[in-house]
Amino acid sequence: MLLSVRDLIVRFRTHDGTVYAVNGVSFDLEEGETLGLVGESGSGKSVTNLAVMRLLPQPAGHIENGEVLFNAEDLTKLPEASMRELRGRDIAMIFQDPMTSLNPVLTIEEQMVETIQAHRRVSSADARARAIELLGMVGIAEPAGRLRNYPHQFSGGMRQRVMIAMALALEPQLLIADEPTTALDVTIQAQVLELLQRLTKERGTAVILITHDLGVVAGMTGRINVMYAGFIVEAATTVELFAKPRHPYTVGLLHSIPRVDAGPEEALIPIEGVPPDLRVAPVGCPFAPRCAWRLDRCWTENPSLGPLEPGITVRTSGPEATHRVACWNPPTAEEAAAGAPQRPGFVAAEPPEEARRSGTDPDGKRLAASPEPGRGR
Amino acid sequence: MSQPIAIVARPTARASRGLWRDAFRRLMRNGPALVGAVCIVIFVAAAILAPVIAPYDPTIGVLADGKQGPSLAHLMGTDLLGRDEFTRVLYGARISLTVGVIAVVIGLAFGCVIGAIAGGAGGKVDAVLMRVTDVLLAIPGILLAIGIVAWLGHGQVQIMLAVGISYAPIFARLLRGTLLSLREADFATAARAEGATPARILMRHLMPNALTPLIVQATLALATAIIDVAGLGFLGLGPGDPRVAEWGEMLTDSARFLQSAPYLIFFPGAAIVLSAIGFNLLGDGLREAIDPRLKR
Repeated sequence: MLLSVRDLIVRFRTHDGTVYAVNGVSFDLEEGETLGLVGESGSGKSVTNLAVMRLLPQPAGHIENGEVLFNAEDLTKLPEASMRELRGRDIAMIFQDPMTSLNPVLTIEEQMVETIQAHRRVSSADARARAIELLGMVGIAEPAGRLRNYPHQFSGGMRQRVMIAMALALEPQLLIADEPTTALDVTIQAQVLELLQRLTKERGTAVILITHDLGVVAGMTGRINVMYAGFIVEAATTVELFAKPRHPYTVGLLHSIPRVDAGPEEALIPIEGVPPDLRVAPVGCPFAPRCAWRLDRCWTENPSLGPLEPGITVRTSGPEATHRVACWNPPTAEEAAAGAPQRPGFVAAEPPEEARRSGTDPDGKRLAASPEPGRGR
Repeated sequence: MSQPIAIVARPTARASRGLWRDAFRRLMRNGPALVGAVCIVIFVAAAILAPVIAPYDPTIGVLADGKQGPSLAHLMGTDLLGRDEFTRVLYGARISLTVGVIAVVIGLAFGCVIGAIAGGAGGKVDAVLMRVTDVLLAIPGILLAIGIVAWLGHGQVQIMLAVGISYAPIFARLLRGTLLSLREADFATAARAEGATPARILMRHLMPNALTPLIVQATLALATAIIDVAGLGFLGLGPGDPRVAEWGEMLTDSARFLQSAPYLIFFPGAAIVLSAIGFNLLGDGLREAIDPRLKR
């Protein structure tokens, strides 16, 4: 197992109180495997990965609990110096906005050579040769000449290619791509994703792809974890998840994407309401206020992530991974296809008194203004 | 009938050639900044070439020629001791510019060290250093400088130190604030994700990005430094050597003859104002020329 995150809890202590950003997330990743982390802004997908890298915004961000086992070594207990050696060398990251993740006052050469020399004892000439090779690899014409350019002399797509080249410079075992194409034009998105997929497959690099866009992960990753309000609510192989979504949130996500093959009478079904205020300690299922399938117990008990049929052997990684869902009342296949409960006489449970008082009304509208936690991606 | 519209192939905007070259091009198109630059060039030339172009010796006067109005022999007249005013204004440029520049450099040095430590370390170190600079900022700069000169005694070095130290808190705050905002920038996080050490991130990634506001501020500070140096001279806290031509002291010396010889106060005053305006215009122009890169 390359990466194994166990019961990760991340909280931010802010002036407004504690933000419950990640609330007990566990997932596994094998060598060379690709995993998609899908969720909306504030679902904790970026924070989870910043916690893995130990790059949480300081001093607010804390790993309260949990283990991050990378090659069986717990990264949360590693001294900062060892962690620094590991960053970039064993785990590399690509960020959302290529416009701002390159230093504007340094040339591409300076930045690439620096990254290589931070981890390898090589001469500047060798590092430069490697940088030229990498730029060529990511499809930048005239790499030797372009090396002397500044970031602002590249287009957005080209910059993201440079970021990919830098991330792969040291042949990391794991690449975390945080919304790598969100800031790019649609046509460029496909090119960059294709490049990312080809290069990581060639090298056997494991990838965690963070995105809010199910379309992006569909063709890119073997497995998908759907995150909501700091929890993983559904985990399955990509094929399984798209074919048989079993969490109301996933069902909602799939129904809010326009489909080319949908008939004209097939309307989009938006997910009503907004995500919960993460400053309130989670009670019950976080999705309950927006859920059409909710039961009474959903308001008070948070379901844990488990297999659909109890008693079967659970595989948490690989192409045979078990389909798991955190839901007391999973939609049936017909309901998932329709996007709404189909059982005769079924009515979503009304919230108990405490839930009303906790700041979330039954329609899921927040009564108090809430911050965009994390990095707001 | 509508006129046929001539479609002229306009050259597309020139590809940018680098941050500084772009900034320089914008500066060259900025009229006021150019005027400021010309002012400064004239004063710098006057300071350097004073011994060559000055018609007289700044320290030797003919008492009988005292308090003459401007004439061909004495372009700006003569002072009470018969010394040529034009010569003394030229030599005054030397004092004002060197003292001003060195004072700002001293201020930059102190301010950068404090600001870099505060912005780089953060936390308690930052809190303590910033409270100290807050206290210094609360005292008006010239008052602080007067106190320091009173404490260290008369002399050019003391003036440089006094003015420099009174500017240090401004630079410290500016650098610290810039560093704090840059620390959260994506490229800083990206550098951390690549395994760069905190010292390397500070010196290589954050500092170069923080320099431009410092350069702008330093140029603007030169303008006030010249005024402050002259102000200290005017208040009797100048170099302390009556032979030295210093604009501020020249003002004090001639203030008594405001009625009989107003030109004695006009020329050194104009020199102070023009050089200060020069640096101000150039500083503003620099700010405009450098800033757009962040918006592009």
